[in-house]
Amino acid sequence: MKQVWQNIVDLWRRKTAFQMAAGYLILLLLLVLVLPWLPLPYGPDKLDYAHTFQPPFEPATAPDEARHLLGTDGLGRDVFSNMLYGARTALLISVPVMLLATLLGLILGAGAGFYADRGFTMHRSSLLVLVLGIICFCYYGLYLPIQITRLGLGATALAASLITGILLLMLLSGFFVLLHKRVTFFRKRLAVPVDQIVLRLIEGLSTIPRFVLILVLASFLPPSVVLLSLILVLTIWTNVARLARAEMLRIKQLPYFEAAKSIGLRANQLLLRHALPNLAGPVLVAFTFGLGGLLALESTLSFLSIGVPTTLVSWGRMIANIRSNTSAWWLVVFPGGFLSLTVLAFYTCSHYLTQSFSKNSKG
Amino acid sequence: MLPYLLKRLLLAIPALWLMATVVFLLSRLLPGSFASERILESSAGYYSKGTESDRQAAYQSYVRRTGLDLPLFYFSVAPATQPPDSLNQIYNEPRQEQLRKLAWHYGSKHHAVAYLSSTELLERQLQTYPDASLKHHLQILRAEVKYEHLQKTAKSAVAVASNPQVKQAAEQVLERLQIMQQERASFAFLVPQLSWNGRQNQYHQWLIRLLQGDLGTSYRSSRPVLALLIEAIGNTWWLLICSMAITLALALELSILMVKKKSRFLHKLLLPFLFITDSIPVFVLALLLLVLLANPDFIQLFPVYGMGYYSPQQLSFWQQLSQWWQYMTLPMLCLVLSSLPYITNQVYASIHSAMRADYTRTARAKGLAEGAIIRRHVLRNSLLPIITIASDILPALVAGTLIIETIFAVPGIGRLLIDSVMARDYPVLIGIVLVIAAFRIIAFLLADLGYAWTDPRIKQQLA
Repeated sequence: MKQVWQNIVDLWRRKTAFQMAAGYLILLLLLVLVLPWLPLPYGPDKLDYAHTFQPPFEPATAPDEARHLLGTDGLGRDVFSNMLYGARTALLISVPVMLLATLLGLILGAGAGFYADRGFTMHRSSLLVLVLGIICFCYYGLYLPIQITRLGLGATALAASLITGILLLMLLSGFFVLLHKRVTFFRKRLAVPVDQIVLRLIEGLSTIPRFVLILVLASFLPPSVVLLSLILVLTIWTNVARLARAEMLRIKQLPYFEAAKSIGLRANQLLLRHALPNLAGPVLVAFTFGLGGLLALESTLSFLSIGVPTTLVSWGRMIANIRSNTSAWWLVVFPGGFLSLTVLAFYTCSHYLTQSFSKNSKG
Repeated sequence: MLPYLLKRLLLAIPALWLMATVVFLLSRLLPGSFASERILESSAGYYSKGTESDRQAAYQSYVRRTGLDLPLFYFSVAPATQPPDSLNQIYNEPRQEQLRKLAWHYGSKHHAVAYLSSTELLERQLQTYPDASLKHHLQILRAEVKYEHLQKTAKSAVAVASNPQVKQAAEQVLERLQIMQQERASFAFLVPQLSWNGRQNQYHQWLIRLLQGDLGTSYRSSRPVLALLIEAIGNTWWLLICSMAITLALALELSILMVKKKSRFLHKLLLPFLFITDSIPVFVLALLLLVLLANPDFIQLFPVYGMGYYSPQQLSFWQQLSQWWQYMTLPMLCLVLSSLPYITNQVYASIHSAMRADYTRTARAKGLAEGAIIRRHVLRNSLLPIITIASDILPALVAGTLIIETIFAVPGIGRLLIDSVMARDYPVLIGIVLVIAAFRIIAFLLADLGYAWTDPRIKQQLA
């Protein structure tokens, strides 16, 4: 971890382009966080029918009115404040989604690389508990609560379902603990082919292009930010997982790791203390790169108004207004330019980080 | 080689089947059907002009056509309180919802059905013997679930009713309500029930039809999905293939230019340009080009939307082609620009590494000209990674085509997909997913063939 930080500081000192990109991103993050307290003359959803499709940099029509600095759209919404709030929405969606996806990808990818097909074993009894527990959870933890909220049965029914589920799980595990002690059959260990499972999952998710997959999944669900984020997390973890798996396979071959293994460290010590710090660099690269892609993806979805509610302030929504008036160039140039600049900053960071880490692993 | 290709094709079939199955099941499993959005809405839309009974008839024919009155899969796990799917044909969606609510609330589907049919009887009696004061009661009886509220309403309905027939019906409602309350089992839904549905289920029938080559009909236009796909695929195909060929050719030429010693400055200029182009999202790029090049305010070089107009007389082949080019140039330019950075980068890296190989040094030592070295010796050896790149870039290209077709209103697969996503037109959606997946599998097969063609050693390994 220290090494990663050292690399970043080093890059900051030596490369002006990295300094500019990272500085821009930090400023943007600060701006996004304090945005609700900034004194903007117009809110992002404020309709101003007197000034529709107003070109940018026009003086205010009345002395007591604030001017629309970057023009307005077809409903008189201010482009400037929509741009800033659009950045807020984009970052507030993309950063958590990318963090979760990175975490998921890191766990699955590193696990797959570390354990391979035979390294991860479980008692037959625990495996059985796991499978039955998942079924139990699906019924009492997912199906029933969803139906109960849909049909409006109230909180008591919800609590009853969850409590039944938990009780059943406890009973199940207790029963199998007993069986585990008595029956030798359940004490045998079974290898779980983690690598195969993760690889098949990745393959399955990439049978059709990711964008098509996201569109198809979004068509099944009502437009909502939370559900869309869930879809995004569940579809974009594969990149990080692939990378983490490959890195893990490389690290496993390194002498220091074999030494650590040979002195008999346990799996979690090996993973957390010895593999993870070396994984951090490549994963950071994948994170910044993925974040740039995610920003573009989120704006594209909101441009098509698929998966997000139309009330959500976003770059895509603002840009989509150009369809009703193609001569309103400012609707594309300003939000689109801001979006591209942000994506560019992320890509630049990831580019320099890649360079620095690849130099590291060579020397 | 042939057995290997056949094996690959056979292995692809389960993947296709699995994906189509998942999409189908998800599309049927999740709430909010096409029908409730289109047919039954009374405020706007095509069906709103008809009367209530017409809408009901349209809905029932829709349910029968799509098989929504059958269970979804071979087996189902649901509480015993869940009413069976066959009732979907009798009740429309708000009624189904009410029935489900009652059944889950009181823990018995039979009593719920009995109660609901008694309210229906009351409604019919009210239609023959109109009584304005009872309208409101009926509405509450059909929308509420809480017992106290229902009981109060039913009692007052019995008291208010003046006509003996109506009174009798109201009494029946009250009686059935009380039975339902007496045998109430509030938490009956906690016990799951596994039931076997046999072959009479939606999935089985859909799969059989799919195997016979019938992809179903579109919900939106009631046309066969296959016809829609065939209509749309031509435009997308040419757009995709032409831009891919242009991109690859450009990427090769640019990379060759960049590796030459003389053009160092080009290298310095081109790479940042490509890097910046790469970070502009496709839809922004397309709109920027649209604003810049197809706009009377700036430069009106190209027509904006669509694929041209229908002309009265038959155009000759060349006229058609020139018209097609006019409309396709801008979309193609967009697609090429959006995929060029990645491909050029990869091709450049591949050629660059081949330039440092021993055989290149030998060729140089022989005194060959630089152009000849690159074209004769380097390029052939760096073809292998380029084939991988060409087959890898397809998903990105497909994603780009979706957006570009939507923006430029090109009637292709991408626009069809976006439109069907918007309208929740699931049969078309499944058809498109299958087409895209099959396309990808074919691309991988072609890539395999390409490997064998460029590197005969691979052919021997595979055989």
